[in-house]
Amino acid sequence: MNERLQDYLVFDQVTKRFGGLTVVEAPFNLVVPRGQFVVFLGPSGCGKTTLMRMVGGLDEATTGTIRLEGSPVGPPDERRGMVFQSYSSFPWLTVLQNIAFGMRYRRDLSPKAKASRARHYLDLVGLSDFGDAYPSRISGGMRQRVAIARTLAAGSDVLLMDEPFGALDAQRREQLQIELRRIQSEEMKTVLFVTHDVEEAIFLADRIIVFSSRPARIIDDIDVTAELGSDRNLELRDSEVFFRRRADILRTVRSTLTLV
Amino acid sequence: MSGALHSAFAFRGSLSRRKRVAVALGSSFFILLVWQIASWVGLLDPIFLPSPLDILGTLYDMTARGEIIGNALISLGRIMAAFLLSAVMAIPIGMLMSSYRPISAALEPIIDFIRYLPIPALIPISIIWFGVGEETKIFLLWLGTFFQLVLLVVDDANRVPNEYVEVARTLGARPYEILRDIIWRSMLPGLINNLRITLGWCWTYLILAEIVAADNGLGYVIWTARRYMKTDEVMAGVFVIGIIGLVTDQAMRAGHTWLFRDQGTSR
Repeated sequence: MNERLQDYLVFDQVTKRFGGLTVVEAPFNLVVPRGQFVVFLGPSGCGKTTLMRMVGGLDEATTGTIRLEGSPVGPPDERRGMVFQSYSSFPWLTVLQNIAFGMRYRRDLSPKAKASRARHYLDLVGLSDFGDAYPSRISGGMRQRVAIARTLAAGSDVLLMDEPFGALDAQRREQLQIELRRIQSEEMKTVLFVTHDVEEAIFLADRIIVFSSRPARIIDDIDVTAELGSDRNLELRDSEVFFRRRADILRTVRSTLTLV
Repeated sequence: MSGALHSAFAFRGSLSRRKRVAVALGSSFFILLVWQIASWVGLLDPIFLPSPLDILGTLYDMTARGEIIGNALISLGRIMAAFLLSAVMAIPIGMLMSSYRPISAALEPIIDFIRYLPIPALIPISIIWFGVGEETKIFLLWLGTFFQLVLLVVDDANRVPNEYVEVARTLGARPYEILRDIIWRSMLPGLINNLRITLGWCWTYLILAEIVAADNGLGYVIWTARRYMKTDEVMAGVFVIGIIGLVTDQAMRAGHTWLFRDQGTSR
């Protein structure tokens, strides 16, 4: 296997048009090292989701290429897992079956291995007691945990998360953010996380890419870990450095919004 | 009392199962009662509309003479055969139309064209093609349901959230696996509901088919009774159809609720 740590995921001169609508105009370049938690922050409809979907193979770049471990990304596969904001778990399957569904199309695992992996990730996301419950019987936060566990069980190295906590209340959100950071660092996953919530971005990210409104353009690239360290906990949320960062980013975001 | 009435009539409110059944039975009974009284006091001429009790008596006699159960089973058999044929064809075709644009582009005009044709207008051609045997009846029933059902299936499949499909794709599912594991499972509750509604339409076309070309079945019973102005027998036949419809519909509803009791409406 190719050990590309620094240029693990590369956006090379990427542009995107949907018919007459230009989503990404100026060639988009970004290099993401392996294991980095990258947050795409920007106004709704700015094209950040489209960029993420192109990594997943759900959309194709109009020009330019996206490379994962040195080779251009093709159609979707289990190396790149998606977690959506809603309809993220299948209502006709139990929680455990939902997680096991992540491995349904993998032929390299025995049924026994699949079952024990599903158990493992059920426990990892803290749903041990809810394995037999159906999604309609659990909270929205738990459903997002199911989706995360399913992606991990599938063996995805890259997690593509499109506002996964957008529909949750503040407490559940905070709790899941801490969990996600823990899981991401334990499992050494590379994460692309789309949000328009500045606090969420700072709390989760190793690195924040701030986008302009459409067509998407990078207006800031912030190394959060250099400033806040990699250990994220609730105290951080109340710290002065956190608030200063938040104010800075909000100023940047506002300055671009006035251009529209 | 007025408080209970007020809460029962809350806008888009809820009603317990027991109360719902009570209200449903009560309203049916009330209509029958009014009808019966109107007959007793001579407001209704029995030649035009016999009283509920007379109809019930006639129904009993007809059943005893063996005119009801056999014919009802024949009618039911025709409906099940035609309905299964429609469903078995409409479900895969509808799912494919929803999944592949060229297929829907090719089939939609044909389906829409036939869908708007009045079935009675097609009876002559059907008799020319199939004679007056079972084939004609099945064909007319199929004609009346398939083209409606296939569009309902397309709609059910279209309403499967794209997120489900995309999650499956990123997990390595191929198109036929997505159809089998995602589209089919996700659309099933809506599909079964639509099957229930379409089954009701079958009866419309069945009676039509049995009036034109049959020597058995409930439609034949009704049509023959009409010839001799036996209004009570006509009404008895109609009553049997209504009861069969009511029972199958309620049974399918209950089955639906039981089958999908765990799914709810989760995002």
